[in-house]
Amino acid sequence: MIAHDKQLLDDLALLEEANSLQNAGFISKEQKDLIKKQLPDFKNQKYILVRLGFFLLGSFLYGSICGAISIVGMVGDELYFKICCYIFAGVGFAGAEFLANQKYYGHGLDDAFILGAILNVGFAIGITTDGYELIIAIFMAIAAFVMYRRYLHLPSLLVFCLASCAVLFYGLFEFGEIGKTILPFAAMISAAGFYFSTKKSIHSLTESYYYNGLLLANSFCLILFYLSCNYLVVRELSIMLLGNEILPGTDIPFAYFFYAFTLIVPIIYLVQALKTKDRIMLWISFLAIGFSIYTIRFYHSVLPIEVALTLGGVVLFAIAYFSIKKLKEKERGLTFKPDRINHSNALLNAEALIVASTFGMKPGVKPESSPMEFGGGGYSGGGSEGNF
Amino acid sequence: MNKFDDQATQSLLDKNLITENQYQEIKAYRNLNIFSLNAELKLFLYLSVLLFTSGIGILIYENIDTIGHIAILSILLIVIAVCFYYCFKKSKGFQKTETVFESPFLEYLVLAANILTCIFIGYLQFQYKPFGTNYDLATLIPTLISFFCAYYFDNKSVLTIAITGLAAYIGLSVTPQDLLHNDFYSNETLSYSAIILGGLLILWTIYSSRTNLKTHFNFIYLTFALHLISIASISNLTDSDYDGIWMLFGLVLAASSYYFYKVSHETKAMSLYVFMIIYAYIGLNIFFFRILDLVDFSGIWELFVFMLPVYFIGSIVLFIKLIKNFHKEITE
Repeated sequence: MIAHDKQLLDDLALLEEANSLQNAGFISKEQKDLIKKQLPDFKNQKYILVRLGFFLLGSFLYGSICGAISIVGMVGDELYFKICCYIFAGVGFAGAEFLANQKYYGHGLDDAFILGAILNVGFAIGITTDGYELIIAIFMAIAAFVMYRRYLHLPSLLVFCLASCAVLFYGLFEFGEIGKTILPFAAMISAAGFYFSTKKSIHSLTESYYYNGLLLANSFCLILFYLSCNYLVVRELSIMLLGNEILPGTDIPFAYFFYAFTLIVPIIYLVQALKTKDRIMLWISFLAIGFSIYTIRFYHSVLPIEVALTLGGVVLFAIAYFSIKKLKEKERGLTFKPDRINHSNALLNAEALIVASTFGMKPGVKPESSPMEFGGGGYSGGGSEGNF
Repeated sequence: MNKFDDQATQSLLDKNLITENQYQEIKAYRNLNIFSLNAELKLFLYLSVLLFTSGIGILIYENIDTIGHIAILSILLIVIAVCFYYCFKKSKGFQKTETVFESPFLEYLVLAANILTCIFIGYLQFQYKPFGTNYDLATLIPTLISFFCAYYFDNKSVLTIAITGLAAYIGLSVTPQDLLHNDFYSNETLSYSAIILGGLLILWTIYSSRTNLKTHFNFIYLTFALHLISIASISNLTDSDYDGIWMLFGLVLAASSYYFYKVSHETKAMSLYVFMIIYAYIGLNIFFFRILDLVDFSGIWELFVFMLPVYFIGSIVLFIKLIKNFHKEITE
């Protein structure tokens, strides 16, 4: 099923290991270069910025090929419009297959063709079925899964997860009122089920190249589980889907359950992550805690925003201060010392960028003295600061 | 930790790519089972500074008429003084090379003190107008303080604040989300100021490399300079006046691309290189388009569409070559 050479995939894991060992200082640069020479390699891009650039170029190429085909095809106008997206999807599959044969893996160009093919499958089914969401979601999920199995392409696995969620949602809508009412619980139970099943498969996994994919699916289940019964999500969805008007003084059914869920699950995640030393879960728990606070504040303005921000800053500082004090001297297990092998420094490099976007000075009639500019937003601006 | 890392190390050993000693060393380290919260806790410190200063900023803005001005100013001043007192006490003083604080907190304390100082001066200006209507001065003073802090305490985040302040002083907004929103179209002098500022930043990096003054800051200066010059000249390339001034900006873009091509090789900075290529490519395409615009193409536009895939394949091949060469040169 896999289009790529399995030997190359195994070697890729070794190369990555050699890279991280060199960064950790266990082996010298010369040794790593030697290893690199010995093992054949894919054409892949480690730098996310370069990969994005190639993704854009690949999309241009894909688009221009489709444009050229359309000029020929427009002769058969009405019919052509009906089948054009199938043809475009075919172009995507062909391009992906060609690039895989040329040993492109995670390069950016292949991303463009693989994702483009999945997208065009969606459009094509949409045109044929007149926009029937359930069918579109089913076919996109199948296409994305095939793409993942064939090219081990992680972004398509993410598309598959999202499309499967959509299948679940639209499937339940078919059952009318009842389906919409049990939606949160159905999503929660299936997320939990898939979480444990993926976890089990990770344990019994023997091929290293499936590891990242399973990990992604596993983390996706964690996020879906939290969001499925988050109070804010449930309440807003019930207003949107069921058209329930929530009058002042009343609340959604099972409100206490959803409140408790919103508060307890992030804590469980946090404790579990620290116990099992699971960094991804830790980050999900941070985000979940943040979103829970937002959920509470969305409905109950406990404190005015400025006091909340200031106090939040002080509390966060205290937490960080005491944790650092406590973990500073520890040599093993949970510690504040940077890990030689897995360090997540990329994030700290983005600090300067975040500061510039939140606190940068702007020219104007009233420079500086408009603290409204200082809204705490813009954390999404992280990413690539490049290498120093 | 995942079991495949261990397996990979094992097979590196089996293939004789690492020595037995190295393998034992790695295994011993892995057995410590380290789970480092270094980056996470630092991020917390960082977020706490951002939250706290944002909170203070809004607090002052909302209550500008209710709490006494003197009270606000004196509280702010006390907090700033305490922060700076600690920073100065713990710092090793000014050094020309890269320095780090022993304690992880101080870096963030410097940042907090600096942002609060900016808020303080802004508030002072808003309320008491010590600089009169001279708003430029009110921007320049926090900028100078920020530069001082950035160099004295060796803080990159503060340096970016200082650079945005410098740009604000000449009327530019260079925060990442606003960089594209500067009105270069209707305001030609703004473009000239942007290009001149970019040039000055480049000159400063040359000067500091010569004198070995905080050379690790050069990357930040160069990043700002690259984006400023490139965006200003590209906006002017699309200028619709047919007075030929766009040609001049094309030359500026070409010159800056050449310079950044050289400098990214010297500093081994991938992101400078990639952005340089992207800007140069956009510029080149606009240039071609304007040339084609002069010729009447209405008859053979289909041919043009058929040529497009070929054009993109050509550019992809070119880019792959460029990136490969760059990799080769920086790893040597």
